[in-house]
Parts: sequence; structure tokens; C-alpha cells
Amino acid sequence: MSHTRYRIEAAGEPRKFPAEALARIEKILKRYPTKQAALLPVLWLAQETWGWISKEASEEVARILELPPSHVDGVLTFYTMFNLRPVGRNLLQFCTSISCHLLGAEELVAHCRKKLGVGLEETTKDGKFTLVEVECIAGCDKAPSMMVNDAYYEPMDAGKLDALLERLGREG
Amino acid sequence: MAYEKVLSARVGRKDSRSIETYVADGGYASVRRVVTGGMTPEQVLEEVKKANVRGRGGAGFSAGVKWSFLPKDTKGKPVYLLCNADESEPGTFKDRLLIENDPHQLLEGMILASYAIRCRNAYVYIRGEFYDGARILNAAVEEAYAKGFLGENILGSAFSLDITVHRGAGAYICGEETGLIESIEGKRGQPRIKPPFPAVSGAFAAPTIVNNVETLCCVKHVIDRGADWFLKLGRNEKNTGPKLYCVSGHVNRPGVYEAAMGLDFKEFLYGQSYAQGIRGGKKLKAVIPGGASAAILKADEIEGVPLDFDGVAARGSMLGSAAIIVMDEDTCIVSAITNILKFFSHESCGQCTPCREGTTWLFKVLHRIENGEGRPGDVELLSRVGGQMANGMTICVLADGAAAPLLSAVAKFKDEFVFHVEHKRCLAGTKALVTA
Amino acid sequence: MSANPKPPTPPAPPAAPPPPAKDTFTVTFDGKAIEVPRNLNLIDAARLAGVDIPHFCYHPRLSVVGQCRMCLVEIEGIPKIQAACTVPLKDGLSVKTTTDKVKASRAATMEFLLINHPLDCPICDQAGECTLQDNSFGYGQQLSHFDESKRQYPTFDRTLIGPHVVADMTRCIQCTRCIRFTHEIAGTSELTFLDRGGRTLVWTHDGQPLANDWSGCAADVCPVGALTVREFRFRKRVWYLQKTKSICPGCPVGCNVSIESKDDVVYRFLPRLNPDVNDYWLCDHGRFLSESLNDRDVHKAAIRDGSRVQEVTVPVAVERIAREIRATADKTGPSAILVVGSAHLSNEENFLLRKLADRLGIENRDVVADESRVRRIKSQTAWIEGDEAAANFKGARDMGLAPGKGGYGLDAVLSGKASPEVVLVADAAFAALADDPEKVAALRRARFVAVAARNANALTRAADVVLPAASLAEKEGTFTNVQGRVQRFERAFLPKPPVRATWELLLQIAIALGWGDRAWTPADLLAQIAAEVPGYAGATEASTEGGRLLKKGDFAWTGHP
Repeated sequence: MSHTRYRIEAAGEPRKFPAEALARIEKILKRYPTKQAALLPVLWLAQETWGWISKEASEEVARILELPPSHVDGVLTFYTMFNLRPVGRNLLQFCTSISCHLLGAEELVAHCRKKLGVGLEETTKDGKFTLVEVECIAGCDKAPSMMVNDAYYEPMDAGKLDALLERLGREG
Repeated sequence: MAYEKVLSARVGRKDSRSIETYVADGGYASVRRVVTGGMTPEQVLEEVKKANVRGRGGAGFSAGVKWSFLPKDTKGKPVYLLCNADESEPGTFKDRLLIENDPHQLLEGMILASYAIRCRNAYVYIRGEFYDGARILNAAVEEAYAKGFLGENILGSAFSLDITVHRGAGAYICGEETGLIESIEGKRGQPRIKPPFPAVSGAFAAPTIVNNVETLCCVKHVIDRGADWFLKLGRNEKNTGPKLYCVSGHVNRPGVYEAAMGLDFKEFLYGQSYAQGIRGGKKLKAVIPGGASAAILKADEIEGVPLDFDGVAARGSMLGSAAIIVMDEDTCIVSAITNILKFFSHESCGQCTPCREGTTWLFKVLHRIENGEGRPGDVELLSRVGGQMANGMTICVLADGAAAPLLSAVAKFKDEFVFHVEHKRCLAGTKALVTA
Repeated sequence: MSANPKPPTPPAPPAAPPPPAKDTFTVTFDGKAIEVPRNLNLIDAARLAGVDIPHFCYHPRLSVVGQCRMCLVEIEGIPKIQAACTVPLKDGLSVKTTTDKVKASRAATMEFLLINHPLDCPICDQAGECTLQDNSFGYGQQLSHFDESKRQYPTFDRTLIGPHVVADMTRCIQCTRCIRFTHEIAGTSELTFLDRGGRTLVWTHDGQPLANDWSGCAADVCPVGALTVREFRFRKRVWYLQKTKSICPGCPVGCNVSIESKDDVVYRFLPRLNPDVNDYWLCDHGRFLSESLNDRDVHKAAIRDGSRVQEVTVPVAVERIAREIRATADKTGPSAILVVGSAHLSNEENFLLRKLADRLGIENRDVVADESRVRRIKSQTAWIEGDEAAANFKGARDMGLAPGKGGYGLDAVLSGKASPEVVLVADAAFAALADDPEKVAALRRARFVAVAARNANALTRAADVVLPAASLAEKEGTFTNVQGRVQRFERAFLPKPPVRATWELLLQIAIALGWGDRAWTPADLLAQIAAEVPGYAGATEASTEGGRLLKKGDFAWTGHP
């Protein structure tokens, strides 16, 4: 019924943060009394750097912060915004919580699935779109609300969605 | 007399985010006055306590009283202020409004609160989805440092403060104060057993205060204008100050509206200044007054109910995060409740038995009922199982929040649930499916 | 008239000293008040009052998490039910465990735990020692009302999570005992929760299996059959197992174990609680030595005559040994005889050997042990370390098995400096050198070599006489651990005749040589030890619960030469 987060995929190659990211990590560490507390910010940095967080990236983060790898796994899999495998260029996040539900969120998702030919948590073959359902993203007054990567698109409807998908699909 | 906005006064003003316009509008004047000796930390605390600023994250607990739980002697441990910007209760979007439009209001509130509780390092725990909000806040924080309102020896005083914006990553339970604390420590956001309470032992085993965004913004205004002013705003001394109300669902004008604490429920739903009634000319069927964790109210139950903590509680529900979710006559209540239990089963952290197992079980049964596969005994099962999850059965009240809408809906709309089981379809006209 | 002078006022008696602050609290359980030590968890305090508070996630040595919600009780003065494990003890606390609210909460928690739990009892090793089974009987309901699809973890069932532990995660009740064990006791943190909510799974980081030195303990603490020991899987239903109090033979830490056997076969070791030594724990090295107790190559006594090996009765073999010893002692002198004890043998056995040597004037005596990896175990207060590969090195040395005045030890023989005519080895597996053909050849230069043995090795193959010796499970005695603690072990079952405990074999040899009492038992020998061995007074007080810590500074010698 639900999609599980047990497997953190392997990238198949080592993950070392670029110098600029390491500099940011140093700055981050100064802001917290423990290294462990910097875990979420550093994981976000990893996701910014590689688009998703692989087994190799999680081990590198564990090494830098001197944490057990299992601890990093536990955190990675708990928080749904961390991508445990590669995602498409456009991560389509449809809210399906109560207010959006009351205003047709599920129909919108069904429309999108049909349009793109993918199921939930799946990526289109051309790598352009990944489709996920999310819980309330605080866009309730502009329901149905959705996000593409880090931007809100609300209120959304089938027509606007078609146009949006077309525009995003054209972008390189 | 028209209500004069307080918390949302600057929303929509040109360059409302910039520190220049904020200062020009009188912002940071209280910080200047207070930290340079105008008030002692104890005086700030007493003023906030006197104003009875009740927590606007959902619990409605007096912020001043919470602050006074801090030990007088922290035995060398630092005090932490954590601003709860994790806003994830379905139906709630007021903190997003405040952060995206008037970030310095929040920062000023945090500076004053930190001064009062002698905090040296404060954090804003902002939900991961608020990418813009985090960017805006970080820019505001940088501006505040540049102008000397943050950092060492603020405005030449002995008071120093650092604020760090810390992003969450997709977990409703990190809005629970001890879940937030666990998360900021770099762990899974699993709430802690209490006692000890955060004021005694919180983040990094140090005394910690967790306050909601809107609450901290209220603090700024209490210090600006005084507790007496705050007390007068609102229905009575127990329900005070300005309040942001969120409305969504089947209304004509969803959005955030501000009023003095205790706005009349019907006025809020139907008034021209507010939600302007049910859309499409439909009739009201039901409303959840305080986010998905609150008990549902029937249309005839909102008569003469003031939208404040005690007023809604007297009606058997709660104001919570003041997230009013409106359902019209065509709404299938079974579908709505199924959706709400889907939310809670997804957001349960999983550490304690009744919530982990109960939310999942309830969702499975509801999903079946909603999809025409209900069985005899299902409705009684929902009530029985929902009734054994709350009131101390669990570490935190997510389970109580899951049970409240379910139990109230089954009690008040029993015929709809029974109909679904017996006839395999909705009583209402429309059918809304919950995605698996 | 003048009044009599008042008598002088006697000095006021000194003020009574204030009563000493109690180190106990008065706690009431269901109306019955008792005094309990202040530092107890409420669940343990209840047990003192004879009140059972059912629980899963609470463990006396792991952090309190209050997650399982089975231990909910009513506390006077607090309206909501509370998890007993999280309630701090205080004076005057009043606990109710039999109210309707409490009963309902237990039934609710059991119902919630059982809805997804697979009905695996018929194929699950945990049956019979399963807390879920026990609490279900006590507090659950008979019928299930759950008729939905159950949550399963098919790829995490019936699969190794570490070299010694099998995972069947569908059975897991998410109590986190195993996670807390790897984090707080082992310090290796292999285990974690993954995902959340109803999908929560306990697992490891990919490529970092549950492989610490105490991984078997993770299976011990698991209250259900989610983590079980691979070596024990499907081998015996636990209710058939006889439990015998013993001491681990693996190293001189001396962890207290339970030998679990049936029909004279040892199936496993389980740790036995001893807060001063191993507490609740047992390392994998020691735990999995259990199998080795079933090994046996030597079933009968044998005498080698050239290339011919002839099975004989034990009395015949004993007689031959005694004759050779007597002949050499008379002809050349006791300086031509070497006796070798063993750090694997008990205090009683090593003592007997030494006393026999004393009797005969034999000063050439020795005991050696292999060095090993440092083995550590966490007592209640500290880590205890042992670094010899045998349980009773300290005891064997304390019994006096080191070269006496003018005598020599094994080193001298192995280096060729000394050449005994007769060598008596009480345990052929006393050290790895006994399986080294070169070293054995040096010993074999003696005219006559006699050994007691359980398994064949280079030494037994070279010996003139081999006596069949019992295993640890087949005899009783004491070991002395690194702390100087004398600890008793009991016999699980008798050896199969003609196999005998080594102390019996040595006693027969002694009697054949004109010394000793046929009626002696290990208890008698321990009494002699207490009377004669410096530092061992009080050893007879050693019980199987707790042993007896010998006083420091009373030893003739400790440690290595």
C-alpha cells in the first residue's frame, strides 16, 4: 500500500564533497554544539550537490561527522524529502492532504499519471519527471497545491498542469 | 470599530521583507530599548506572562508560563530558544505567511524572547518544504547581523545572540516540541518521554524553550505596546491578543485572516471580511476548527462559538493551529476522514505501539470502507480501536490527534459510515477516492 | 523561712542525632506498601513487591524509552495512565496495576502488537521463552479482530543479519532493545530504525552486518523471535532444555552461563545474570563454545604399545600410570617426573594434581595457557577483561602449579634443557602446543607419557596412556576469574562410562600411589583448598549465585612467572 524507504541506492562511485561544499560544512559545524546536530544541514548539502543521497554519500557524511553509518541511514530514511535514489529533473510533489483532497487533489494526480505514463514514485523514461504524493505543504488556501523541485505552483488544475508539464518538458 | 491588523499589518507592503522598511515602520525599536537597559530579562518575561500569550502552534499553553519553567540556576548549561516553524498541521499556512512576508517581525520576537530567557544561541526550525521561507529568513538574518541586531554585544549591550536557520526534511512529527528537539540534535524526530520537560532538559540536555512563529511575533507586539493592550485584544483575559486564522476547503475566499482572539465562528465563515461563505452556493456540512487533529463539528454546532482556545474547547473540539477546514454538503465524510487517517499513518514516527499500529489499522479499515469493501462490524471497530489510542496510551499526542477527528466523525456522521458499509458507496453526491 | 536551694539543673542531654536519611523510598503497589531502594526502576521495584508489570522495551541495563506501552499503570495523583518504566521513584508513590483502565490499556497494547505479528509460533525458536507469548496469555484477548493485510518484511525474514544472528523482521515489535544494545553496551551501533510509522524496520547499514563481539546478546535481548541465534535455529524446543549453572570456559573473565542441554547433549549457552562479572551478557566467543562440549574422540582408556593401541579399562590404565610413576620415583627420583596441570581444569583438579606432586616430592610442575585476543564483557559497573584463552589460568596458578624449589617447567623441557622420564598431563588440550608435533616430540623424549583427554591431538596420539576425561558439562567444580572470584559450576549430566571427571581420574591415580580418600568429592576438595591455599579461605562460600571474591593481597602468587 505504501512505498517503503528501506534501500539507499548505491551510486557506484565514490562521493567526495567539492571544496566549496566542504567550506560550507565547516561554517555549518560552527553553528552547532555537536557534529551530530549538523547532520540535516549536511545531508541537504549532499542532496544539493548530487541531486540525491546515495549509499556512498551517506557514508561520506558519516565519516565527516564521525557518526555511525547506521545512524545516518536511520535519519535519511526517516525524513521523506531526502531522495534515496536518483530523481527526474523535475520532482512533481502533489499535496493530497485534507484541504487539497477536498478540492480534487487525487483527480489531479490521476490526470498527471495518465499524462506522463508513470505511477507514484516513478520517473519518466526521459528522466524529466518524477511524480510523488506528499502530505500538507501549507498551500491549503490555494488548493490543490503542488511543488516542482523547490517552487510552489498553486492553485493547480488540469489545464495549468498540462501547460506546466509542456513548458518544463521543453526546458533542457 | 474596524480591527487594526497587528501580526499581518505589513503583509503586502512594498519591500516588506527588507530591514530598512521594517525599521522605518518602527521595527527593532523594542529591541533597541530593551537590550540597552530599558527592561531586565525578568521584566520582559513578566510582561509576556501578564499578557497571557498562549501558544499558537496548537497547544495553547501560556508562553510566559512555559518560560518561567526554566530553572533559575542552569548550572552552567546554555539556554536554547527554538522557533517552531515546522508548520505541518493540515489546513495551516499562517506561519508561512509571516515568514515569507515579514521575517523581521519574527526575528525581533526571537531576539526579545532570547533576551528574556537568557539564550545565547537560537534556532529557527523551518520545515524543509519552505525553501523560499528559509531563503527569506536567512537573508533577513544576515541583514540583522549587518545592522547590529544580532551577534556579539547587540547595539553595544552585554547581550549577544546568534540565530541559525535550520531546515527540516519532511516530517510532521518534528512540529512536536520534543520531536523538533530530537531532530535538531541530528536524529530521527521521535518525541521524547516527558518529564523531563524541555525547559529543564531539552536540546543537548540543556534548558530549552520551543515557541511557535506566531507566538514569537506576538511577543514582539507585547513588548511594543504592553501587556495591557494585548490583554484587551481578545474575548477575555484567558484568550488574548491578535490571532491569525486560516480557512481552506469549500469556502469562497480561503486564506489567512487576522482578528482579535475570539472571532465568532459563523462570522468567520460567512463574513464579507473573511471566508465569505460556502462556495457554489452550497450549504455547510461540517468543519474542523483546528487542523486535522481536531474533532469535527457539524454545521449546527458552530452557533455562538468564539474562535479561541476556550471557546472551541467548550464545544468539544480545539482551536489548535486555527486551521479551519470547511466541508460542504456534497462532501463524503468517510472520504475526508480516510484522508486524514492516511495523513496520520504516514506521519506517525513509529516508535510507540498504539500509534504505529493503530493509525495504520484505522487507515486500512477506512480505505476499505471508502472503496466499497466495508464489512459488518467495521464502524464499531473504528470506534473501539480509535478509542484505545489516546489519553496516555502513547508518548505524544499524534495518536490523540488521529483519534479525535475519527471518533467525532463516526459519532456525528454515523449514518454515513454505515451507509458506506452497507451500500458500498457514498451517501453524499460526490465520491472522492483516496490514493493507495 | 528560706526555701531549699534549688538543685543545680543537670546539663541538658545531648540532642539526639537526626535520623539517617533513608536510602529507600516507601512505594505502595495496589495498596501494599514496601520499602524499595531509591535507584530502582519502578518495574523492578514492583517486582520486589511481588507485582508483575508486563513490559517489552524496558531492560534494566538499557536506556528507558517507554515505547512499547505495555507497562502502563495508574499513578495516584496523575489522571492519565503512565508508562511505569518512565515514572521516577519517589517517597509516597502509589501505583495501581489492577484497575480497569490498566487492564484495558494492556489488552489494547497486546491487540496492537498482535495485529501485524505473524502466527509463527510453530516455526519460531522463541516459543517458550517469548515475552509476547507470555504477555498475550496473561493480558491479551483470544480472538483477533484484525482482518486486513498484515505488514511484512519478506526480504528481511529468514536471513542473516550478522554471522551469528538470523533476522525474521516480520516478527519485530519495534521495541528497540537490540538497537539500544548495539549502541549503549556493545558501542558498535550496527542497528537502526529505517523508514517510519507502520513501515518502521530494524536493520543495519548495508555492508556493516551485526558483527560485534557480543552479537548473540542482541538475540538475547530481543523479546520475540525477530532476532535469533543461527547456531541454535530449529535445534531444540526450549521447554525441553535442562538448565545448569556453569561458568564459560572461554576466558578468565568467567562469565556466568547456563548450560542448556537435553539427553546429554549441550544445545547452547545462555548468559546467567551476575552484575559483578558479566551482568546480562556473554560474548560470542564464549557463547559458541557450547558446541565444543559435545565433541569427544576419546571414549575409552587406551594403552599404546609400540604402534599398537589397545583399549583397556580405566583401572588398568590408572594402575599402569601409578606403576610407572612409582618405579621412576624410586629408581631415579621425583626430579625425573613432570606434572602438567591445565588452565581449562577446575581448581579442585589442579589442586589435587599439585598435592599429589607434593606428596611424591615432585617439584617439576607447570600450567600454561595460550594468549588470546582480549575478551571484554561489561559488568554492571565496568568492563572486565581477560586475555588468556582459558577460564582458570589464575586458579591453576594459585593452586601452586609452577616449578617448585629446584624444579623445572614446560619451557625447560621444550627447549631441551630438561628431560623428564615421566610426564603426567592432566589435560591433553591444556594449550595449543599440545597439538604442535615439534613440541610434542620434545615431550615425547620422556620414557612414559600419560594424559587425560577428551579430544584427540598430537599429544594424545603420542602418549603411552590416555584416560577418557569429562567435559565441563559432565562435572562440577570451581574456576577463579581475573577478579579473583571463585565461581562454582555444576554438572549438567554424567559422562558416559567409562569417561570420568578429571578429578576422579587423578584421585584414582593418587589412591593407587597410596594417598587420598576414595570418598572425596569436589566439595571436599574445595574445603581443603579453603584451608590450605593462601588467599582461598572463604572459597567454600562460593555459591552458583555470585561466587566469592577472594581478598586481595592474600595470594602466594598471581599472574605469570
